[in-house]
Amino acid sequence: MLIAQQVINGLAFGATLFLLASGLTLVFGLMRIVNMAHGAFYMLGGYIGIVVSALSGNLLVGLIAAIAAVAVLAFIVEVGLLRFVRGQELPEVLLTIGVTFVVADICLWIFGGDPQQLPAAVRPQGSFTIGDFTYPWYGIFVIGVAAVIGIALAVVQTRTRVGAIVRAGVDDRETIQAMGINIRWVFTGMFVVGAALAAIGGTIGAGRQPILQGVQNEVLLYALVVIIIGGLGSIAGAAVGSVVIGLIDVFAKTYIPELSYFTVFLPMALVLVIRPQGLFGKAA
Amino acid sequence: MSNPATRVTPVVRPSTGLIPAGVPGSGGGFWRSRWMQVAGLALVFVVGLLLPYLGTNSFTVSLTSTILIAAILASSVNFLVGEGGMASLGHGAIAGAAAYGAGWASKQGWDVGMQVVVALAVTLVVSFVYAVLSMRTSGIYFLMVTLAVGMLIFGLASKYSTVTNGDTGISNVARPEFLSEYWTYYYFVFGAFVVATAVLWVVRQSPFGASLRGIRDSESRMRSLGYSVAWYKVGAFMISGVIAGLAGLLSVWHTHFVSPTSTGVERSVLLIVMVILGGIGTTMGPLIGATVVILIENVLSSYVDRWQLILGLVFILVILFARAGVAGSIAKLVRRIRRRRGSAPPGGPSGPEDAAEAVLSNHPA
Amino acid sequence: MSMTMSRGGRWAAIAGLGVAAALSLSACAPPGSSTEEPTTPSEENATGTLKVGFLSPTSGNFAIAGQEMLDGWNLYWEENGDEAGGVTVETIAEDDAGNPETALTKAHKLVEQDGVDIVVGPLIASTASAVAQYTAPLGIPNLHPVAASNDMTQQNWNEFTVRVGSMGGTQSTYPGGVWAATEGGYKKAVTLCHDYSFGWESCAGFVQGFVENGGEIVQQIWAPNTTTDWAGYASQVAAADADIIFVATAGGAPGPGFLTSYLDLGQPIDKLMLNCCAADQGTLRAMGDRIIGLKSVSYWAEGRDDPATKEFVDSYIAKTGEVPGAYIAGGYMTAALLAQVLDEKGLVTGSDLVDAITSYTFEDSIFGKVSWDEYNNTIMPVFVREVEKGEDGLLYNVPIAEYDDVDQWLGKGAPADVTAIVPYDQTHQGL
Repeated sequence: MLIAQQVINGLAFGATLFLLASGLTLVFGLMRIVNMAHGAFYMLGGYIGIVVSALSGNLLVGLIAAIAAVAVLAFIVEVGLLRFVRGQELPEVLLTIGVTFVVADICLWIFGGDPQQLPAAVRPQGSFTIGDFTYPWYGIFVIGVAAVIGIALAVVQTRTRVGAIVRAGVDDRETIQAMGINIRWVFTGMFVVGAALAAIGGTIGAGRQPILQGVQNEVLLYALVVIIIGGLGSIAGAAVGSVVIGLIDVFAKTYIPELSYFTVFLPMALVLVIRPQGLFGKAA
Repeated sequence: MSNPATRVTPVVRPSTGLIPAGVPGSGGGFWRSRWMQVAGLALVFVVGLLLPYLGTNSFTVSLTSTILIAAILASSVNFLVGEGGMASLGHGAIAGAAAYGAGWASKQGWDVGMQVVVALAVTLVVSFVYAVLSMRTSGIYFLMVTLAVGMLIFGLASKYSTVTNGDTGISNVARPEFLSEYWTYYYFVFGAFVVATAVLWVVRQSPFGASLRGIRDSESRMRSLGYSVAWYKVGAFMISGVIAGLAGLLSVWHTHFVSPTSTGVERSVLLIVMVILGGIGTTMGPLIGATVVILIENVLSSYVDRWQLILGLVFILVILFARAGVAGSIAKLVRRIRRRRGSAPPGGPSGPEDAAEAVLSNHPA
Repeated sequence: MSMTMSRGGRWAAIAGLGVAAALSLSACAPPGSSTEEPTTPSEENATGTLKVGFLSPTSGNFAIAGQEMLDGWNLYWEENGDEAGGVTVETIAEDDAGNPETALTKAHKLVEQDGVDIVVGPLIASTASAVAQYTAPLGIPNLHPVAASNDMTQQNWNEFTVRVGSMGGTQSTYPGGVWAATEGGYKKAVTLCHDYSFGWESCAGFVQGFVENGGEIVQQIWAPNTTTDWAGYASQVAAADADIIFVATAGGAPGPGFLTSYLDLGQPIDKLMLNCCAADQGTLRAMGDRIIGLKSVSYWAEGRDDPATKEFVDSYIAKTGEVPGAYIAGGYMTAALLAQVLDEKGLVTGSDLVDAITSYTFEDSIFGKVSWDEYNNTIMPVFVREVEKGEDGLLYNVPIAEYDDVDQWLGKGAPADVTAIVPYDQTHQGL
């Protein structure tokens, strides 16, 4: 029973990671930016999702509010800041680090230092039991949300025009520009979508683990590990990486707790050294 | 074998590659065109030397020691970024590891000389690990590798509590007897800063430095010329690592204390902030950047609650509008004035501001 | 390349000159250095002001705890005026961001630049340790409202560091173990604690109390400091063959994080016993009515039926609408204690102040009767508490059992050589 529970725990953790990592990897794949502010987007999305759901009594309303707020922020960051350093790897990364400082401090200012969680009233409660296996509904809910979003992303990527443009942009930026597609707005759109995914992650994740100062760095580190292992730019990679890290994390903590810290960062280091493009990434 | 993970987006840079930083030309012309830089350095030097006598209290002097130690650490990062184009998020952990080496030796009751030996040994081992793991990567992947190794070191510091005392840290680390006063220690740190800066400067001027810059500007070109790029990068990392280790040792002697926070990623991020603020590739950049960041962290924070917000905003503004940092922007300004006066050749020698350009623009692998 | 050589040569010469100058200058001390130790405070305070340097993490991961500690301290002076016994208390508060280097730098500033007489705080174990080693040799009293590391009053104790508003981790959980095995009637326990010194010490206390009274520890689980996802741990403790689950974490997110996962599994609340920080007010507010009936053990019980406690709680609710938790209580207690001592003795600093505190017995503090042992640690009551809903609709930790005069040696007397105590860890739990 414990093992079965841990498997689902790992998958649920992986689901939150996927929501976070998918946005990060898409942005990197298309724009070659490692958005270090992604964790801050998660945090802000979480806070707003919590506050609005508490006020409205409805999780969906909170979710929409979180997505809207973070999308606006991401739009401002992309159009107002990142455009000035488009194409320059290091300044882009550094700029997003600066944004993280700013957003984190503003969150401290507005929301204070108390850890916050989704109010019990708005999230699916209780657990289901099959034989002597019990599992909380919320964990399944999180896995479900992540799965739906993952499928939606895959469908959009492979079957829609927008998706085709994005895939083409990942492969060869200059050519699609030459074909007349306004790559700037594609970039902006992708950045906003990535941030929206982080916001969803934050709100949904806030039902399982609290949001507070410092969470932006913790989740960012995990997301980076996932996308490095899965491969920068690949949704499938993010999915596989999330599941792998989620399961490794839970099982390591259960059976080899002394090494639990290393079980996450050692694979990352190894992948970077042996196969830097990750499991599903494209070789240049 | 080029790193499959890096996309080579060809960028053509004029006056690139193998021009050494430093000026060809006649002897007199060199000093005339550089007099501002020399004067600036001399001024800093004199002020630094006289600081304890300028009516400052022990806190100011000890804060300046903190700044100088951070500047040494920032210089090590600056060297790697400016000369080698390798931005590292792991140097905090190297300094922290050296500090732990000394701290552990102190806990064993060993004398100060042994502390130095252990710290040096730890520094060399850790730097070598970083160097070897990262030597075939560049750009964003290099950043990630250094981040990962840094996190592993942080994990060791936190968990391996029989050696590191875990999260509580090691306290009461002994400093050499003859340095026990705050102002004698300040001079020691000041001397160390001068020596470290001088050493890095000499390396920059050397053929090794020139090759590094070549690698920074175009790895594939250097490879085609027969250079063993990976080992040059290892060498650069080792040099940078030793300077970082020095900073770590000075730090643990300064505070008599070390804890896992010193090895964490936040510290390393602040180092990058310092380097950018000050100016990549410049000699005084790290000192300027360290001064700004440490003052904001420790002095501004006493008066303003939202100091982290201010730090973030300052950083963003510098990236957007003053890419070359404080020192780099001043140098640029001086060159522009001089060019208008016609006293320097156009398309002139590459200097520190070009380091910033090279690193912060597309740097092809 | 002769240019390079002479340039390099010139620079080397300058560098050498600099180092030589530095060495020669270091032979003569600068004017400011003769007062390397700050002027004895009593000379400066003839006018009757006690300058207090207050260090706490008001930014960073522990912002809430640091802010609460400061709020508690400030609340006392706001209510009672900042004068006691003719002495004006002036507070200079600094943020240490939970970072030992910053804490040390700020401590230097407070002592050397602001000339404070005493330092209160900081909070986090590593920062507290760093600051204490700095202030003690200077003869500056260092009062700790909240810090809970055992070693501060054991292996690393010193004359000037005093714990005033809290207890050692082991000291505050030991009675919990005793109660669980005796009155609680539990036989088998599984423990889940944070995997660092505070967690080890807290678990050790419970474990000793439980085993000494006939209980059995079936499993001990250690969770990394950075744990955000508690679902795996909730599953583990639920699966363990135990009738009581003891959970000890630092304050902040872990409490609600664990409880959410645990309750989601449909597990019963009465199998749990938490430590002070996992079940602090922050957790109660985050979890709400779901945790009514949750048991915990701590030195602070806001639901305590006692006039001093009630008065403090009521005034905090009046001011903020929230019930005060342990961090606020610690800050308030420190201020109240200082005021009492100043009232009795007038302006005292340095070792006189420390002696005045440690020889004092605070009969009617908000924690109950508090006194001090010879290693500057508190001796005060510990409560086994349960979460109840008050008449005002707010949640309180109400005592269901009380153990008086709990000292850090757990009633067993101090060891012969305190500095040789081996700290607890995952394998050494004091059994």
